[in-house]
Amino acid sequence: MTRTLAPLVGAALDRVDGARKVAGAAPYPNDVRYPDLAYAALVRATISAGRVSGIETEGAEGAPGVLTVITHLTAPRLSRGPATSIGPQPTPPLQGDRVDYDGQYLAVVVAGTREQAVAAADLVEVRYEVDEPVLRTEDPRAEREENPWHFDTTRGDPAGALRTAEVRVDSTYTTPHLTNNPLGPFTTVARWDGDDLTVHDSTQHTANTRSALAGVFGIPEERVRVLAPFVGGGFGAGLRSWPHVTVAAMAARVVGRPVALELTRPEMFTGTGGRPSTVQRIRLGSTVDGRLVAIDHHAEYPAAMDDAVRYRVTPRGAGAYACPNFAARDVQVRLNVPPTGHMRAPGTAEGLFALECALDELAFRLDIDPVDLRLRNVAEVDPENGRPWTTTGLRECYRVGAERFGWYGRSPAPCSMRDGHRMVGYGMAGVTFGWTMMPCRAAATLHPDGTATIATSATDIGTGTYTILTQLAADLLDLPPDWVRVELGDTRLPKAPAAGGSGLTAAVTNAVQDACRNLLEIVRNGHPRGTDVRAEGASAPPEREDVAPSGAFAAVFAEVRVDPDLGELRVVRLVTAVDGGRIMNPKLAASQIIGGTVGGLGMALMERTTPDPGSGRIMNANLGDYLVPVHADVPDVDVLFVGGPDPLTPMGVKGVGEVGVVGVAPAVANAVHHATGRRLRALPLTVENLL
Amino acid sequence: MGPGVREPTTTVTVNGARLVANLDARVTLLDALRDRFGLTGTKKGCDQGTCGSCTVLVDGRRVLSCLTLFAQCDGRQVTTIEGLADHPLRAAFIKHDAFQCGYCTPGQIVSAAALIREGRAGRDEDIREYMSGNLCRCGAYPRILAAIREVASGAHA
Ligand code: FES
Ligand code: FES
Repeated sequence: MTRTLAPLVGAALDRVDGARKVAGAAPYPNDVRYPDLAYAALVRATISAGRVSGIETEGAEGAPGVLTVITHLTAPRLSRGPATSIGPQPTPPLQGDRVDYDGQYLAVVVAGTREQAVAAADLVEVRYEVDEPVLRTEDPRAEREENPWHFDTTRGDPAGALRTAEVRVDSTYTTPHLTNNPLGPFTTVARWDGDDLTVHDSTQHTANTRSALAGVFGIPEERVRVLAPFVGGGFGAGLRSWPHVTVAAMAARVVGRPVALELTRPEMFTGTGGRPSTVQRIRLGSTVDGRLVAIDHHAEYPAAMDDAVRYRVTPRGAGAYACPNFAARDVQVRLNVPPTGHMRAPGTAEGLFALECALDELAFRLDIDPVDLRLRNVAEVDPENGRPWTTTGLRECYRVGAERFGWYGRSPAPCSMRDGHRMVGYGMAGVTFGWTMMPCRAAATLHPDGTATIATSATDIGTGTYTILTQLAADLLDLPPDWVRVELGDTRLPKAPAAGGSGLTAAVTNAVQDACRNLLEIVRNGHPRGTDVRAEGASAPPEREDVAPSGAFAAVFAEVRVDPDLGELRVVRLVTAVDGGRIMNPKLAASQIIGGTVGGLGMALMERTTPDPGSGRIMNANLGDYLVPVHADVPDVDVLFVGGPDPLTPMGVKGVGEVGVVGVAPAVANAVHHATGRRLRALPLTVENLL
Repeated sequence: MGPGVREPTTTVTVNGARLVANLDARVTLLDALRDRFGLTGTKKGCDQGTCGSCTVLVDGRRVLSCLTLFAQCDGRQVTTIEGLADHPLRAAFIKHDAFQCGYCTPGQIVSAAALIREGRAGRDEDIREYMSGNLCRCGAYPRILAAIREVASGAHA
């Protein structure tokens, strides 16, 4: 083995788990097998509101291979696990006869094989007393909660400033309900050994699944082990411990065997959250030379009857534009819909779609270039508290992105650019993303053979955590990367926060750095030969009164072509410039931004979870009817990183998991306006709106 | 097993190994590979024929194993990702970081291997078009394209 001593942090190392992934050898939760594994199949409600008046299970119980059928009449009584930073835990399943949404779990059938379980689940007969569901936010019966999570803010006198503003924009935007649809169907394989519970789970947060299950079953956390070394994507769907996780553990306890519960694709639409639909009204006031004097942002979005997550649509600090008068209000409306959750850049993607489109409307009204309008209003300090950002590369994002894209070759008037028959449009959007960091622990162990192991309970859902921790530890311990082993996704390892909120990389790299420092300290002080040396380390969000911790910044530029006769819209080019602080691995970080961009393209062009207006049932709960981007939809995506390490934490990273999604839909919508003169204020931007 | 469910004898060659099994006639090729033969490299993304993650080769042609009954494969040759151990696409996918979560990856590689062999991976538009049955929710498409393009052009080595 030759020692490579070049700094690996910042290098484009290949993904260390790549060889396993290309071989099909990375174990996802649904790859876990036990010799006596039983299979579970769910029975779901087919009404959106009412109660179960009868449930016949005899047929299913007598079917071949069936071990048990559990309903609300026979299920053990459960508690609700402890709330977390993202809100309360979901309602425990099978605890009563009330039905609050179509798709709610009413029974689980467990059998020796999956075919037997699925066939028997079909034999369960449910009778209902049906209520009239509340399905629309305008329904007068709907319960409205203003300022549900205490994020509303008012600064200055927005109403007065709007009245006196020289130029005003007043527009309403809508975004649809979206479903995360990670490609790996969420699976829980649960196994009890006395009072000890082991679950293999599709989660982005092993520690949360553990505390949720411990709370639900009333057992100490130490008795629950959650494993998620590989997860088939999440995009936020894995941030909560959903009811099926509890059902799987309950079923395993009842049958006294390990049980696998794999959600079907249709079940993924009702059982793992999603991005709620929104209606947003934005009012902007400006001077004639493009200085913002007022922003008033009002958002309404649905939540399930008995389950809501902490959520915020109106972006923090109005998307970080310098504006003296500002108001942001969120209203949450309770409907008979499946529980909402988090989808990559939750709230921010919807809120900034509206704000960035409204700014484009203002730029057009003022006849100011959209980039210049944003540059005139960049917030040099955090508008929420007046503190200076720790770093901001936002201006640099605009400059570098515009240059790479060739933005200034744009002729400003709508409908003024053509490629033969087709209309050409350029559009852009700016992004100021929030900062998140949660406490994290990690361990570093040096083995007698000179290799090292880094361990933390964090998950790598495709973000690259295995790889960047390998790079970091190799640098700090002065080892070649293949001498470093990284263990993740196991609650027996030191406790890490969620792979979510773009906050894991900052938390986990700083914790690993601390662990490696502590390890080297022990080694320097001398230690017995021939034994493992282990040290733990920790990180916590710095408490600073003098600065505003900055998240990532970005600028997105899109070029579209629209066929004037057919209304066909193609996005032909996307450029994203990102300030993500220190980039641990440019190859993997670019993959994050490309992936986010593709997600944003889905949001812009095609994705929409469609409920039946009468019944509330989701009509397109499969990947044939719920459209997502495919190879043929995706153009070249150019990613540029600007800026450098952020001084807030030793590692200087900001997190790039979500920022890539956010600006795409508004950039595309703004490009459509430039191409066609049509201002589309509803996502997705579909052909029927362009005819 | 209850009445009415047949268990036909099926003989299949999987990655060169002859396998004989009597399975519930409802078992798909995908579930047979994953649950009965321990070949979990082939992934289930939808079980409805809409995502491509379960793609395998049956007698050299791309097939969605979730829509294929195991019993239909009697006498056939099945190739899964485990059977493409030496395929240059594996290294190209790693080099181009053509995945994130990795869940779609076996299906992408099996599809791409067939595409290249069929000589249909010559132009970017063709790769994009013919690979459009393989979803990647992580959005690695531009990098999957780069990996396939490199192998198809013989530029790897
Ligand atoms: S699992 Fe077969 S196509 Fe999706
Ligand atoms: S890599 Fe996650 S779905 Fe393709």
